[in-house]
Amino acid sequence: MNRWLDRLITLLLAALIGWGGWSTLHWLIHGADWSVVTTNLPLYAVGSFPADQRWRPLVWMVGLVLLTVLTLLGPKRIGWRGALPLLWIAMAPIGLWLLVGGLGLLPVGTRDWGGLTLTLLLTAGSGMLALPLGVLLALGRRSALPVLRWSSTAYIELMRAVPLIAVLFFGQLLIPLFLPPGLEINRVLRAVVAFALFAAAYIAEDVRGGLQAIPPTQREAAEVLGLSPLQSLQLVVLPQALRIALPSLTNQAVGLLQNTSLMALLGLVELLGISRSLLANPAFIGRYLEVYLWLAAVYWLCCTAMALLARHLEVQLDPVRSNR
Amino acid sequence: MTVAIRATDLVKSYIPGVRALDGVSLDVTCGEVLVVMGPSGSGKSTLIRTFNGLEPLDGGELDVLGMRLDAAHEEHQVRAIRKRVGMVFQQFNLFPHLSILDNITLAPIKVQKRAKAAAEQRAIELLDQMGIREQARKFPAQLSGGQQQRVAIARALALDPEVMLFDEPTSALDPERVKEVLDAMRQLARGGMTMVVVTHELGFAREVADRVMFMDQGQVVEISDPETFFSNAKEERSRKFLNQMQH
Amino acid sequence: MRKRRVLVQLALAALLVGFAALLVNNLTVNLIRTGLGLGFGWLGRPAGFALAETALPYAPSDSYLWALTIGWLNSLKVIVAGLALATLLGVGAGAARSSGNRLLRSLAGGYVALIRQVPLLLQLLFWYFVAFLGFPETPVGGLIKLSNQGIAVLGLNLSVEFCAVLVGLTVFTGASIAEIVRGGINAVPRGQWEAFRSLGLGEGLGLRRIVLPQALPAILPALTSQYLNLAKNSTLAIAVGYADLYAVSDTTITQTGRAIEGFLLLLASFLLLNLLISGGMAAVNGAVLGRLRRSR
Repeated sequence: MNRWLDRLITLLLAALIGWGGWSTLHWLIHGADWSVVTTNLPLYAVGSFPADQRWRPLVWMVGLVLLTVLTLLGPKRIGWRGALPLLWIAMAPIGLWLLVGGLGLLPVGTRDWGGLTLTLLLTAGSGMLALPLGVLLALGRRSALPVLRWSSTAYIELMRAVPLIAVLFFGQLLIPLFLPPGLEINRVLRAVVAFALFAAAYIAEDVRGGLQAIPPTQREAAEVLGLSPLQSLQLVVLPQALRIALPSLTNQAVGLLQNTSLMALLGLVELLGISRSLLANPAFIGRYLEVYLWLAAVYWLCCTAMALLARHLEVQLDPVRSNR
Repeated sequence: MTVAIRATDLVKSYIPGVRALDGVSLDVTCGEVLVVMGPSGSGKSTLIRTFNGLEPLDGGELDVLGMRLDAAHEEHQVRAIRKRVGMVFQQFNLFPHLSILDNITLAPIKVQKRAKAAAEQRAIELLDQMGIREQARKFPAQLSGGQQQRVAIARALALDPEVMLFDEPTSALDPERVKEVLDAMRQLARGGMTMVVVTHELGFAREVADRVMFMDQGQVVEISDPETFFSNAKEERSRKFLNQMQH
Repeated sequence: MRKRRVLVQLALAALLVGFAALLVNNLTVNLIRTGLGLGFGWLGRPAGFALAETALPYAPSDSYLWALTIGWLNSLKVIVAGLALATLLGVGAGAARSSGNRLLRSLAGGYVALIRQVPLLLQLLFWYFVAFLGFPETPVGGLIKLSNQGIAVLGLNLSVEFCAVLVGLTVFTGASIAEIVRGGINAVPRGQWEAFRSLGLGEGLGLRRIVLPQALPAILPALTSQYLNLAKNSTLAIAVGYADLYAVSDTTITQTGRAIEGFLLLLASFLLLNLLISGGMAAVNGAVLGRLRRSR
């Protein structure tokens, strides 16, 4: 490259960065007022969960953070590691119990759920529903049975054609219309179902990509050994396909977490929703920048943690790299 | 002499009008080693893949170990045959996500419902027999081609098959790795295994085969004992092929 | 074998039809209860609401159909502009990530790493409330006039809402496009770089004439899906009050209660939009591949 041009670009960029850094610093010292964040930390964390019960969502989230740290940085001793997948899976029922209550805990209605807790719950809940549904749809789309193939394809393509906000909005609006009169599903559950139905279509395409990457000879080799078609799918094809699809599934998971913010437009007070109601409070009027920066940091941290965990899982699942 | 495989007038075509198998008939007797040779596209791989139902037939019929297989066969018939007929592929086709040991014990545990410990013990024996016992805990990607192919042989043997099919087992190997695989096959033949081997290895055919079958354009050109085939082939097409192979 | 396959399919079809029938039955019961019924006659009635931004003349006395058309045009406007700008930004940032200038490279890397891990909705709110509404009025060199009423560029008046949505979509999609472009560039063998350098070609010229053309076949399909994403994401415009198709549909449904018909219309509009984008990209793809093949 032209050396002078190179220097000029460097100089211009340095000036730009310097100017940006200086104005940010100036704003941080003279303009910023972080009280909108600091005085409302419980709201961001757990929403309007009853104050004396706040420890429940907090325990759950601290558990998640601890597990993340342990998984990523924990000692490599085998005994410890074996229990990690089980612990991760156990976090779902434990979280649900801590939030819903019952079995010795005071019941708390979903109306009082909010903040980061609700964001994480929406993500985990819809993700866990969407993954099996997506795998089934992917298999359906590759099925030799035309009826199954057409219906799966139609579902996947229609879902992928519409914007998520429309799916969520109409999920809130239409799901009750299609249910028998008198049967009501609560709003959080409706949101989880709508998210899962939407995400499953995208997951299906990622899984299909993984399935396509498995050479047909793998299935042949399995069937030559006398494995039934179902066994060869379950023991030979799917494990490999899911491992190949893992990076794109990670992107879907991160996308899912980010997309839960759309529920703010539909009146749920998850992380973004609670911030909108705070900004509407006259005490904090105009403190947009502080709130948005704070939210961006929280979302960025959660998404990055998820991506790191997925990278970790990828390495764990790679037989050659993990077999040292 | 009992017949292990009897093929009568097999027909198979992938493209309408072009016959990959064009009326192939032959008998393979128990304990025999039959080597199938022929130029590429002669139908020899297709033939051996019909023996365990990998290629559905368009015409003719097969009798494999007393079980019938024809154009209208059902899935469960094929599976019954596959449990008693082992196969080794050109590209090994090991399962990359499973360890060597798991590759070998998968079918015994899941299909034959053997106990895990017994299946693993048998797998170690087979690996020992193949001279790669120390690789049991590794994964396919960590092994050389020759080692992978010996694992594939062990995997097929783990089901205690009565017939073994080899589809160009050494064609994907580096030249210096061919011998270790052929040695394993030789040992198997000495043990009395019924084997059908598609291969270009003339030395192996001359030394191990009981009979050599030459195919061209989907038809059987000649079946002879190796001595006749290599020194005094009956058909002009066979002689031409051998000539090309030796140069 | 064949008989079983037919039976399985029949059972499946029966199951699907039964499920659909159950849903439709519940729907009719609910519709009778609310006294609405199904139909599109309401499309001709006056909408009664005003729209802040209209590409063609519109008054509240015009029909719902016309209001939805205006919304569709507004969507199209922001999508087309977004596609163009996001492509420019994405290709620029993607190329910058393979640049020889270390500062430029890390700046582009930081942009991608930051933007992709923050929700688009949050970014849109930032652009609207902080960047544009918080902006003091400034004329920049007489060509661009910024104010919180809108932005005038060379006599073109753009609303703040439009600008916020456009910039938000551009910056967000640009980061994804940058990743795709970088992936495509990395897929071109290193030998190609060495080849043009050894011929004395400059870095920029080599990138434009040698590397990018070879990377295009890998880039274009992924680019199409990003374009479709941008179109779908444009519906978040409702968060900042830009009157796009979704926002108008939302208002219409709230006023008329016609959720099912509204959803069907929205679905049809998006199928049309997707068709336009994928059709256009297929044409571009064909032209590019054709040119590459001819030039070989």
